[in-house]
Amino acid sequence: MDIDIGFVAITAVTLACIYGTLAIGVSITWSSLGLINMSYGFTFATSGYGAWLVSEYISSSGPVVILGGILTGALVGVLVCAVAFIPIHDKPNFTVRGLIASLALSLIGTQALLYFFGPQSKTLPPLFGDWELELGEVVLTADKGGAILTSILMLTLALWWMRSSRRGLEIRAMMMNPHAASLVGIGVRRTGFYVMALTGGLAGLASVLLSQTYFVSPFSGVTPLIKGLSVALCGGLGSVGGAMIAAVMIGVNEALTADILGGQYILITQFLLIILVLIIRPRGIAGILDKQREA
Amino acid sequence: MANLWKNPIANWGVKEEVDNAPTIPWTSPIKPWIETVKAKQKLYKVGRLRYYYKFPGHGARTWHRWRYPFTRRRILNIRGEYNAKSLRREKTILDRRPVYWVLSFLAMLMAPLFMPVSFESTLLNAGAVFFIYAAINLCWTLVIGTAGIFSLASMAIVGAGAYGAAYLSLTHGLPWWSLPMVGSVIGLVFGILIALPATRLEGFYYALLTLGLVELCRVYVIQSRTFGSATGGVYGADSYLPDGISELSELTISYYVCFVVMLVVLFMFRFIQGKRLGRILRMAPEKREAFAEATGVNYRWARIQVFIITSVVLGALGGVYASHFHGASPSLFSMDAVLLGLAMLVIGGIGRSEGAVFGTLVVVIIDKVFIEWGPLRLILIGLIMLLVVLFLKGGVFGIKQQFRAWRNKKKSENRSTRAEKGGEMLPEEATETHDKDQIFMRRFDKMQRDYLKTLVTEEIIEEHKRSPLGQHSEPLERLLTYFRRQPQSDKYAIVAIELYKSYRIIAMSGQRGVPPRVVEDKIYTSETEAYHAVFMRRVQDLLES
Amino acid sequence: MAFNGGSAVSERREILNINGLSAGWGPMRVIHDLDLVVYAGERIGIVGLNGHGKSTLFSAIAGMTDWQRGSIKLNGKEVGGTRSQGPGRYTHLVVRQGLALMPQGDEIFTGLTVEEHLDSGAFTPAAWRDRKARKEKILEIFPPLRKLMSTPVGRLSGGERRMVSLGRGLMSDASLLLVDEPSLGLAPKIGKGVMKALMEIQLGNSAMIIAEQNMALLEGQVDRVIGMHVGKLKGEASTSLAHESRREV
Repeated sequence: MDIDIGFVAITAVTLACIYGTLAIGVSITWSSLGLINMSYGFTFATSGYGAWLVSEYISSSGPVVILGGILTGALVGVLVCAVAFIPIHDKPNFTVRGLIASLALSLIGTQALLYFFGPQSKTLPPLFGDWELELGEVVLTADKGGAILTSILMLTLALWWMRSSRRGLEIRAMMMNPHAASLVGIGVRRTGFYVMALTGGLAGLASVLLSQTYFVSPFSGVTPLIKGLSVALCGGLGSVGGAMIAAVMIGVNEALTADILGGQYILITQFLLIILVLIIRPRGIAGILDKQREA
Repeated sequence: MANLWKNPIANWGVKEEVDNAPTIPWTSPIKPWIETVKAKQKLYKVGRLRYYYKFPGHGARTWHRWRYPFTRRRILNIRGEYNAKSLRREKTILDRRPVYWVLSFLAMLMAPLFMPVSFESTLLNAGAVFFIYAAINLCWTLVIGTAGIFSLASMAIVGAGAYGAAYLSLTHGLPWWSLPMVGSVIGLVFGILIALPATRLEGFYYALLTLGLVELCRVYVIQSRTFGSATGGVYGADSYLPDGISELSELTISYYVCFVVMLVVLFMFRFIQGKRLGRILRMAPEKREAFAEATGVNYRWARIQVFIITSVVLGALGGVYASHFHGASPSLFSMDAVLLGLAMLVIGGIGRSEGAVFGTLVVVIIDKVFIEWGPLRLILIGLIMLLVVLFLKGGVFGIKQQFRAWRNKKKSENRSTRAEKGGEMLPEEATETHDKDQIFMRRFDKMQRDYLKTLVTEEIIEEHKRSPLGQHSEPLERLLTYFRRQPQSDKYAIVAIELYKSYRIIAMSGQRGVPPRVVEDKIYTSETEAYHAVFMRRVQDLLES
Repeated sequence: MAFNGGSAVSERREILNINGLSAGWGPMRVIHDLDLVVYAGERIGIVGLNGHGKSTLFSAIAGMTDWQRGSIKLNGKEVGGTRSQGPGRYTHLVVRQGLALMPQGDEIFTGLTVEEHLDSGAFTPAAWRDRKARKEKILEIFPPLRKLMSTPVGRLSGGERRMVSLGRGLMSDASLLLVDEPSLGLAPKIGKGVMKALMEIQLGNSAMIIAEQNMALLEGQVDRVIGMHVGKLKGEASTSLAHESRREV
């Protein structure tokens, strides 16, 4: 058996970057709002369509299309927040109801996409031009290199914004103690919109990046949702660092499995890995304790 | 004020009596009373009785109660009582749900007779699907609601059972009656496998994990050649229908077969929910686990038990599914199937059998009867689900409870925000007071003081200063009567230190043996002066109360 | 009636004016028809037993009770009114009107460092721009924090947490500081230290209300003491007078 280490590594890094983008979105939403956002797949699919519309009607240059995807994602995130978070966030059983509400939203959303755009899938234009970079024996193609660079750039930007700005501080404060957050003038509802716009934007970015390899279709969101959720789960819901590590793990696993065993075993090995991690550490790699939210 | 009081005894020539004195116009003492008893806020009736139909009794005959065979359990919870007014015997059905169940079973049995001919096949087909999905959802609601395991893998277990049974039937030619058994074995294996992580993981980790498992199954089935990746499912399983009958009778038979299947699962639901296992689990709802554990309830084991039992039943239902639809398709594992199933549960209310059945009815009617609507019907289902989740706590069947809770909250809020100032009893105090006359007395007292406060004017004080004793104008007389009527404790009195020379104000203790206390250091030189000082003190107290 | 405490401030600006406030949790009413006026520059102690509504009063001012009714004017702006749901939904707006509530027990963000934690208190744009100078001021009040600036708050001891929690409240330009049981759960010596630091804060144009069960900690240090009994304010005196009456008893 010969494994093309370079190829596997590059695939792994690409996947890790994209999954990390998705998983961090899921993680932040859960820990700051207490909402498991099941309509993430819908956000993903819609921003793919948004990017497609931009490339069709406005301009097909890379940055514009990416921006279109991110903006659509953020808009959908705000919509999800307005429907599935604002009306019920201080009612009993919020977690279950939020989960179900976001599931219902994703059902409505994907069917609406099917209704408006039809079942054929769309393709996005190549965003990062057509270049190749040879690092020794390894060839870094344009779409992969672009995906890695863009997602790392955007993630760094997002995390830097979370670290240093007042809004980021608010989001982090709400992640830790929502009750005390209101005492320092942080409005839960307004911060909810920021968080959902941010995570929606991340989903939009991941959508545009993944559309380089896959197509845009109404149901294209399901697999990324499952992947993002499982990475977030593996890393521990609510932990950005854990999600990063888990993203790398899952990415390596996916690239290795695809290379050694074949494409149809990817999900099986991935779930075995996740179940293994969760049985050893029930709250994921760096899971925070749920007690913090109960307080 | 221009009003003048004429002294009635002035003509008698009493010394030190004036002919008349300036006073205030008369006001009716009833005014403050009307003001006090007038509700300032909208009042709600507190504590309305529930309405029950009272069945007449039957005199002296022995009362026969229906019971489930071989048990002491009654079918209907009937309370017998004497009507306190008519002194007649009455019966009340406290829990009418069994009646509704029987009525709806009858309706389901008779439904094929009343279906319009042009829709008959559609409706019979939809009915059969409804019964199968209702059975599946009954198991699922047991897992989510009763056991509190947020598993989304129920459809996956059904799918696994269906796939396994169909595959075995296809390859080994198993007859239709063995398919549920094969399915239940597969369900058992799957159930144990899926239950393993449930021992370690909590709520949402588990939900996400099971969602992943569903997706895993779907991808595997789509890609696997043995399970018909080319044909889109495994088809050709043995059917329970006899050969060579018309399509309509086939549909009718399958309708009734599926109805029986649902009845069997309902019995299973009742068996788990109403017996020991259900009681244990109802003692340990979410977030109270620690308490349940402390009282010696092994809820973990009970949850796993319920999960495995329902998995077996779900697997068997998979076998039924395979034999009903002659096979299995990957759509069983699709995200939409999970979503629709969840919609059925949520609309009716998670954790109740009637909720599961009703929700399934709604969703199946929309999904199977209005097929020509296309994707719109899924959007409609999604909308109903969203609205139910946003506004209802426990689905359609939780409306009554939610409304009662809301009404009770409003009632207690209104009761406790009705604040009255000035000595009247607060509602909380009033409910705790044993002597209810006290409530009225306090209210009356408050009314009196409100009225008397309006009488305190410069003229009155001037009049009292002029002559503390003797005949007074009517308002002053009212004031003084009220003051004299007060209880002994803390009542002011005058003590003469030296007769005609020095007086002092004291306050009575109101208790035998306890001496009065001195109120102030000031010494008054005449009796009149001291009287007036006491009056002023009392007026002061009145105005401050 | 009110003791003239703000001798430094010539005009007596009303910071807080509560009129006819009732509030409670669920069907239970804790605060009964309460009136209170607080003037600028005042330092008020509210003394009462456990469960007599001190914390509920503070919660009601911040809009965090289950339901409430009655007028609360903070800096002349109405922040009260009748409300029967959404506890805490408008708290951030009340806080932005110039309220700093330092609640009982420490409501802190365990993962943030002390510095970030202090920053989180500066929520107005002006305070955010000016946060360095403000942090310096707070370090002068609570010198032990200087060494701990980059430690996560979750690792601090109880007394240090209390200082961080109080410091966060001082970061904004709050005109009304509500301090709920500052010495609760601390060793007596540390509790007294915290109380002393609170007393040394220059109030200027703002006011401070301290709720405390232990009268001895407030004695002679606050401008007036108000007793609280079964959800009502009972009796009010300048501290010297309260001191005397205690001696008489």
